Amino acid sequence: FRLNIDGLLVYFPYDYIYPEQYSYMLELKRTLDAKGHGVLEMPSGTGKTISLLSLIVAYQRAFPLEVTKLIYCSRTVPEIEKVVEELRKLMQFYTKETGETNNFLALALSSRKNLCIHPEVSSLRFGKEVDGKCHSMTASYIRAQRHSNPSLPTCRFYEEFNVVGRQVPLPAGIYNLDDLKDYGRRKGHCPYYTARYAILHANIVVYSYHYLLDPKIADLVSKELAKKSVVVFDEAHNIDNVCIDSMSVNITRRTLDRCQTNVETLHNTIQQIKETDAAKLKEEYRRLVEGLKEANVARETDVYLANPVLPDEILKEAVPGTIRTAEHFVGFLRRFMEYLKSRLRVQHVVQESAPQFLKDIYEKVCIDRKPLRFCAERLQSLLRTLEITDIADFSAVTLISNFATLVSTYSQGLTVFIHTLEYLTGTCKNFFVMCVSVAPQTLSPLDIYPRMLDFRPVTMASFTMTLARTCLCPLIVGRGNDQVALSSKFETREDFAVIRNYGNLLLEMSAIVPDGIVAFFTSYVYMENIVASWYEQGILENIQRNKLIFIETPDAAETSMALEKYQEACENGRGAILLSVARGKVSEGIDFVHHFGRAVVMFGVPYVYTQSRILKARLEYLRDHFQIRENDFLTFDAMRHAAQCVGRAIRGKTDYGLMVFADKRYARADKRGKLPRWIQEHLSEGSLNLTVDECVHMAKHFLRQMAQPFRQEDQLGLSLLTLEQLQSEEMLQKITQMAHQS
Amino acid sequence: MDEEPERAKRWEGGYERTWEVLKEDESGSLKATVEEILFQSKRKRWEVFLFTSLGLGTMRHLFVVVDCSRSMDDQDLKPNRLTSTLKLLEKFVEEYFDQNPISQVGIITTKNKRAEKLTELAGNPSKHVSALRKAVDTVCLGEPSLYNALSLAVSTLKHMPGHTSREVLVVMSSLTTCDPNNIYELIKTLKELRVRVSVIGLSAEVRVCTVLTRETGGSYHVILDEGHFRELLQIHVKPPPSTSASDCSLIRMGFPQHIMVNVNERDAKPSFSMAHLDAVVGSGLSLGGYFCPQCSAKYTELPVECKVCGLTLVSAPHLARSFHHLFPLESFTERPLEGHPGHRSVRFCEACEGELRDKTVFECPSCSGVFCVDCDLFIHDTLHCCPLCIHRNSAT
Repeated sequence: FRLNIDGLLVYFPYDYIYPEQYSYMLELKRTLDAKGHGVLEMPSGTGKTISLLSLIVAYQRAFPLEVTKLIYCSRTVPEIEKVVEELRKLMQFYTKETGETNNFLALALSSRKNLCIHPEVSSLRFGKEVDGKCHSMTASYIRAQRHSNPSLPTCRFYEEFNVVGRQVPLPAGIYNLDDLKDYGRRKGHCPYYTARYAILHANIVVYSYHYLLDPKIADLVSKELAKKSVVVFDEAHNIDNVCIDSMSVNITRRTLDRCQTNVETLHNTIQQIKETDAAKLKEEYRRLVEGLKEANVARETDVYLANPVLPDEILKEAVPGTIRTAEHFVGFLRRFMEYLKSRLRVQHVVQESAPQFLKDIYEKVCIDRKPLRFCAERLQSLLRTLEITDIADFSAVTLISNFATLVSTYSQGLTVFIHTLEYLTGTCKNFFVMCVSVAPQTLSPLDIYPRMLDFRPVTMASFTMTLARTCLCPLIVGRGNDQVALSSKFETREDFAVIRNYGNLLLEMSAIVPDGIVAFFTSYVYMENIVASWYEQGILENIQRNKLIFIETPDAAETSMALEKYQEACENGRGAILLSVARGKVSEGIDFVHHFGRAVVMFGVPYVYTQSRILKARLEYLRDHFQIRENDFLTFDAMRHAAQCVGRAIRGKTDYGLMVFADKRYARADKRGKLPRWIQEHLSEGSLNLTVDECVHMAKHFLRQMAQPFRQEDQLGLSLLTLEQLQSEEMLQKITQMAHQS
Repeated sequence: MDEEPERAKRWEGGYERTWEVLKEDESGSLKATVEEILFQSKRKRWEVFLFTSLGLGTMRHLFVVVDCSRSMDDQDLKPNRLTSTLKLLEKFVEEYFDQNPISQVGIITTKNKRAEKLTELAGNPSKHVSALRKAVDTVCLGEPSLYNALSLAVSTLKHMPGHTSREVLVVMSSLTTCDPNNIYELIKTLKELRVRVSVIGLSAEVRVCTVLTRETGGSYHVILDEGHFRELLQIHVKPPPSTSASDCSLIRMGFPQHIMVNVNERDAKPSFSMAHLDAVVGSGLSLGGYFCPQCSAKYTELPVECKVCGLTLVSAPHLARSFHHLFPLESFTERPLEGHPGHRSVRFCEACEGELRDKTVFECPSCSGVFCVDCDLFIHDTLHCCPLCIHRNSAT
């Protein structure tokens, strides 16, 4: 139906609306009006995607000049597909209501692996292989070579696209990945390049985080996106980690060894070319003098790892003389590599800031900062000149040159770690486009995000679920039946009594909770310890009488197998327990709807490994630059992961689930206060420090209550509104009240 | 208040401010709120009829599956789940035959991954009741097997004629089931055979039961406490809506007269009842009884299937009692008392002629007579016909 949000006409494709969706749209509208950042938190299953899309689309239609584009960043491919489906529903509704076909173009973008339709290439299994193969067919110099040598393999889809694809824009409509492929097959165009070209004039783009955040990729894909875009990060509770990952380089001794061979190959190729085609090298030299800017022209397909965020001025400058000729550059690389090798030969851990590192490198091997900055760009140019097709082979040397550029470009916030085994660099810098609207599920406390990411939001709101029945039951179990305090903290980690009580808790829960239980541990090591000791005490055997047990392992294939079997066991009434790890794959991406997760048990508080150097450096950085205390950050981080794990079980208003926090530390106000509001609300004083028995009793009662029939009529007017109800004065007041609270 | 009696023991439940429910009116009396609460509880019972007053099947074949697994030892029902369940089932069987005199019941128990028949499908309540009494001493162990229990029930039910309803009622205490095969295949066969499976869970909602009941058209309930358990069983006493697919056929029935024989009469000969042939207890020797009109076999109780010629023997009142299920009384419409158009008599209930004091009254859709909630319940529960309609019919 149609809604009036603060003067904006919004079409909403469903007959009913949740009150929190309405207030969510209000907040969003305010954010857009103010053209600022916004951080909005909303529990899962309350329809945030559709409310977000319908508001922004309406906004785009109303003010086509203010907002030209919506960029929706999601995490996984299924998520992306889901967003596109919602969007399709919305558009169908628009056509039905207004009677006119609108020329909206919305599309999803993913990697070549998901989009390729070339019969040979698309059958490859790994993303890297697909990229490499595609590259070997479509790179500009390969195609140039083909003029002289027509026997080289070619991708007819790309050729077709190159000839006519650019002139024929993608017709308006909603495209998910399969639609793009279909379109590609019909027209004979390469879907990947069609999509990449089309995002320039699309109204809505849905793609993965990395296309925007990871500077190495963002440079390619998102560079030309208009300034007036709305950027939405879905499930952004991990956004800081994604940022850090994208700016980190990991170098091990093996990388260096591989790099060594790379450099040798480079050297040999240069020698060969010198004998056969000296002019080519000269030509390159000339280009380098002119500056790199020109090198950017027509290299759409010549993508190695693009350089890590070169500031513009670098591109305009000429490449310094020391590395301009090919031999010199190879020598330079060799020197740099030897230096790294020597540094790797340490016996203890060293931590250096970027300037320190640069100074050291200057003293030891006389490498200046300036050539280092050009290292990545120079390597690319060289590889291009040498017409090396198989880029996958050269990943090691690319990595090192990237590292060189990173370390010399960012003097602040970047730290170099030298472990006995590996190099690691971490940085906490981020770039934001125009309007960030974060719509994740677990983001509490909200104010730490803006501080950490260094931006100033205009709106910040946390929404809760209005429920017709209390369908979640958070319980904090602090003691065993024998009054032993339960905690995963370091001192009591090995304590026999604690482990036994944890086992008892799981055993008791397995007897009363139907179907699936998901149990989270703080780490793999901890899980292994506990499970081994349960086995010795015979607890595991007792649990197995009630339910089957599945375990998550670091191996992805094994885990997905376990997950599949777990779901099967839940489905046919056998019941199952999944033991998994907070921060693992299960806790991040897998939903346990309805019977797949009737209870989540959180053993301990999932703190990060605090002795880690990277974490320490990060904490230091946060303290120095953003005045966030270490402890605050650690608790915040632990609680968001706990909430994330526990939130897996409840995916909507008809769903219900138990949430058991088994650690006495959860009862403390500072921890409890950092849980999302929708969980806190249901955490009564009476359920703070329970024993196992008390917990079992409450759980039993809760499960019986929840099993009573629940119809849609019960929700109506309370947590589900029709248009008339929404327009009533009373309800509006309630909603505004809700917004004020947050 | 007593909205949900004995939901949990007071000290077990959450902290409630019971006094806040009550509000004084201007004169300081609590009467209004108390009455309101009482009315609401009655209204709840009334709502049950709303969903059941469709055409109902009259001849039922019901298998009751009782879970006897380890979890039945749980003491959240006193003294334990098994004893409590069996006691309630005894009552259920009696009421079932009271409401559905020409139907049959069988009992299956499942434990230790196996299922066995406690009693065969039969129409004699006393046999079932005594079997249930005996079962109290069963040792509960192992896991139940839903698959085995259902397939055992199906093996008998599938031979039942098409005009009868085939039902299974599962009392499920365990949260797991140990099945030798894929249960979803069985659910498909159940659906094809039109076997209606209903489940009453004693602990929590289990997925496989949800699917099972949804697919076969049964109901799924989970008990809150013993009182609720009784109510849920009560629902199954009433026959389920008959499926339009069930075929009609003519059934031969005998209506034997009860012949009283005085001991003093000359030709008074005591004789054995056929029903007691295989009974161990009691001599079964009596003077009078019901004699099958076809083969003159003697029975002391009705309804029964003749052991000799297989004729169904019933009495007319039995048939009448099942008959009303075929043509249930329409549920009355609820409307507010205030603003009800009409004359003075509206102020009084048409049945009990008491003054209407509750906020809403109930109106018969065919004669638009107005009744109070108590009378409505009585009419639908016991009378099965609207007194006003009958009165008017006889007048004209």
